[in-house]
Amino acid sequence: MKELKDYREDIERCVRCGTCRSVCPTLDTVRRESHCARGRLTLIEAYLNGEELGERYLKYIKECTLCGACYSSCPNEIDTPEIILSARAEYVKRKGLPALTTFTLKSLLEPAPLTKFALKVATKLKNLFFKNAPFESGLLSRFSLPLVGDGRLVPAPADPFFLDRAHIRALSTREDYGSLKVGFFVGCGINYLLPSIGESTIRVLEKAGIDVAVPQGQVCCGIPALSMGDVETAKRVMTRNIEVFERYGFDRIVTSCATCGHTLKDVFKLVLQDEPGMKERVEEFAGKIRDVTEFLVDEVGYRAEKREKSAGVVTYHDPCHLRRFQGISEQPRRLLEESPYEFRGMKNPCRCCGLGGGVSFTNYELSIKIAERKAENIKKSGADVVATACPGCIVQLKDALHHHDVRAKVVHVVELL
Amino acid sequence: MEVLAEPVKKELVRILSPENISFEEEDILCYSYDATGRRALPECVLFPHTAEEVSLILKMANAEGIPVVPRGAGTGFTGGSLPLRGGIVMSTERMTTMEMDQENMTAMCGAGVVTWDLSQRAESLGLFYPPDPTSLKVSTIGGNIAECAGGPRGLKYGVTKDYVLALEVVLPTGEILKTAPGKTLKGVVGYNLTGLLTGSEGTLGVVTRAYLRLLPIPEEKRLLVATFDTLERAGQGVIEIVRGGVIPSALELIDGVCLKAVDEYAKVGLSGVGAAIIVEVDGTGGLTERDIERARQVCQKMGALNIEVAEEEKRMKELWGLRRAISPALKRVGSLKLNEDVVVPRTNIVELIRGLEDIGRGRDVTIASFGHAGDGNIHVNIMVDRDDPEEVERGEAAVKDLFELTLELGGTISGEHGVGVTKSDYIGMELHKDTLELMMRIKRAFDPNNILNPGKIFKEEMERV
Ligand SMILES: Cc1cc2nc3c(=O)[nH]c(=O)nc-3n(C[C@H](O)[C@H](O)[C@H](O)COP(=O)(O)OP(=O)(O)OC[C@H]3O[C@@H](n4cnc5c(N)ncnc54)[C@H](O)[C@@H]3O)c2cc1C
Ligand code: SF4
Ligand code: SF4
Repeated sequence: MKELKDYREDIERCVRCGTCRSVCPTLDTVRRESHCARGRLTLIEAYLNGEELGERYLKYIKECTLCGACYSSCPNEIDTPEIILSARAEYVKRKGLPALTTFTLKSLLEPAPLTKFALKVATKLKNLFFKNAPFESGLLSRFSLPLVGDGRLVPAPADPFFLDRAHIRALSTREDYGSLKVGFFVGCGINYLLPSIGESTIRVLEKAGIDVAVPQGQVCCGIPALSMGDVETAKRVMTRNIEVFERYGFDRIVTSCATCGHTLKDVFKLVLQDEPGMKERVEEFAGKIRDVTEFLVDEVGYRAEKREKSAGVVTYHDPCHLRRFQGISEQPRRLLEESPYEFRGMKNPCRCCGLGGGVSFTNYELSIKIAERKAENIKKSGADVVATACPGCIVQLKDALHHHDVRAKVVHVVELL
Repeated sequence: MEVLAEPVKKELVRILSPENISFEEEDILCYSYDATGRRALPECVLFPHTAEEVSLILKMANAEGIPVVPRGAGTGFTGGSLPLRGGIVMSTERMTTMEMDQENMTAMCGAGVVTWDLSQRAESLGLFYPPDPTSLKVSTIGGNIAECAGGPRGLKYGVTKDYVLALEVVLPTGEILKTAPGKTLKGVVGYNLTGLLTGSEGTLGVVTRAYLRLLPIPEEKRLLVATFDTLERAGQGVIEIVRGGVIPSALELIDGVCLKAVDEYAKVGLSGVGAAIIVEVDGTGGLTERDIERARQVCQKMGALNIEVAEEEKRMKELWGLRRAISPALKRVGSLKLNEDVVVPRTNIVELIRGLEDIGRGRDVTIASFGHAGDGNIHVNIMVDRDDPEEVERGEAAVKDLFELTLELGGTISGEHGVGVTKSDYIGMELHKDTLELMMRIKRAFDPNNILNPGKIFKEEMERV
């Protein structure tokens, strides 16, 4: 992976025009120059120049959602999110990660039997820590828990986890495939929190005549670790995933998580290409990745049997990782035409929901405040259902809508097919 | 640079709550630059919300002799918001109240309201705020007023000053005043302080609220883009369009160097020609159809290579997106951009363009020009290599040539960016010594201790006269 100092030239291309101020969801919320690409690049440049910057520097670069809006609007095409990832890694290399983060990250990303057991126990004890939310499915935390926060609405942990379900396990050893050999990359969001997206994905793919396998042994995509600056853990889980999927010789690997999709397609290369013997392997792997909406529209030509629009009104939120980083925005909308819902767009559909970049963990208050605008726009659209294509966005939007008292359901596009 | 004394810091903390004040290195760095790319470090950053807070801060600063620099979004092109002498940067970012009066067609805005947010809000009520500096998605109303910003619509609609009805302003000595009633379109009681403060570059007072005039929104809009083999021919096209009786709502000129630089980013297919003009017309009752046709005919007569009338909203947005990206994208042409915004009477722009070619050749520098040519305003960018001192020197000589030429052609050395620090060396070329002396007297009357944005507009030695 490139080191921070290798980005110096990119950073120096910044002319300080401030264009990025107009799109940054964090600036909009905090109203402080440190919270836009121009400010963050200035700080990173100062850091590279040996300026003594401390906790506040770390805070400012951590409070970036990595949404990429600055990159898309920058006339000089500076990839600030990539630079910020590198800056976080550099800082961690120098100062280490806080103990709690390390522990939770490691146990979530590479679940040892013991932590799996612990998670399960926690699932059983959830009533102690959570109460049922008044509406929408989900749980409200009773206490201020690390990584959970006061009053946060979280989906109840999957029980059992998606990958542990018997019929999903059975899909790991499939022998018969149609013309395309397709694998499903699950990701943490679906495995631990929103298994219904996984179930719907399998259902829709099978309905479309695609035989899909779900390899056991696959792990987290690695982005949470990388966002926290933990490059070593990221490398390990990424390599592990490649190994697991390589064994199958898939033609396509489908994911229903926008974040995983971007990570598997782009970030894997960024992190692994300079590792010995990995360049070709990671290229080949990345070339097979498809977002489920992209796959269904571009390669399968998905069509519903009947398309009566009787179920209500749906609107669509563009996940940053799908629209900006993968250029996918038409396909999910196309799929919604196949749903029984009438489509109505919202204002600014591609504004970040506020979850990304680890901001939801490092500064929950900021994260939920970023989502306020989103909640307003959803409300104004008058939709009954918000569809999107990323479990992360779904968790965040549910929480945000609850916070801002907007009663719309939030689902993945595939759940409406 | 003096360090803020402890009692001063204590007093500041007493005036503002902790989240609205910072002495931290990280914040200081973030408020040390503007779009000139120059740097100067302040000692603290303040985020007041009200005129009363601003007043308390200024009173203290005035008593202690601490420099205070107002700052909006930091998109200024002449270094206006740089804290040259340290002290306090006063950011207006959090003064964002907005009230619309639909019936009277006026708006009241906090200084930190982003221009775009105002124009969107007006639009939602069927109203129109015409001033549209190319930076409008970022710049603040306070910054626009301080620089008297203009934009593509200047030709037909005028510039910021034409829409300011009144200002709430805090003087460097702490008094809070309102310059006019705010909702009346007229008012001649006493001096026109609104006019004096608009364009004063944050040297006479801190604007906390602005009362602005709005228009009904034009119903229709049409846009065409025409390309030409030379900049000169495109410039002639600009003159002929207006001569033909069309007053476009925007009439922009872009040369080949800019087109190439920006097309690498925006990719709308406009590079490889000598120049392009964008003509936008607005109005009601089918008039735009007639106007755009007339403009098309003129372009054709002038030998345009290609004429495209944008049919879709999306294409219009794309073309404006390209236009907005030009200035920052010029980084691709040279590492240092000496960015000037001269204005000449419209009928002299062809002569100005010819002169630019001579200057470029004579000083051996690349010149990239674009701008709101319809009102005679051309952004001339002299591109040089920052690391080549000899080239930088030639660039600076070219700037001087440019100003001489502009003044000869009956123009002014800055149409909208102001003087700030980057042009203070040249203001004596345009202003008579008596005029300058009067301006200095006005400055001293407002700011006897020279604490508000010192070192701007006037050169240091003038300040001491
Ligand atoms: C890409 C780009 C394109 C641009 N295009 C145009 C254009 O088309 N037309 C144009 O006119 N300008 C243009 N500009 C220049 C700039 O955007 C304008 O001058 C704008 O008005 C500055 O607003 P700001 O909020 O960024 O002010 P700042 O840069 O923060 O400040 C500018 C000046 O205003 C003073 N100031 C700010 N707020 C206040 C206040 N509340 N009270 C008193 N003084 C205050 C500051 O002290 C400083 O002197 C462009 C800049 C960029 C980067
Ligand atoms: S838009 Fe790009 S060049 Fe302009 S200030 Fe932001 S990062 Fe810098
Ligand atoms: S990636 Fe998003 S949050 Fe981060 S600086 Fe860019 S626009 Fe802001």
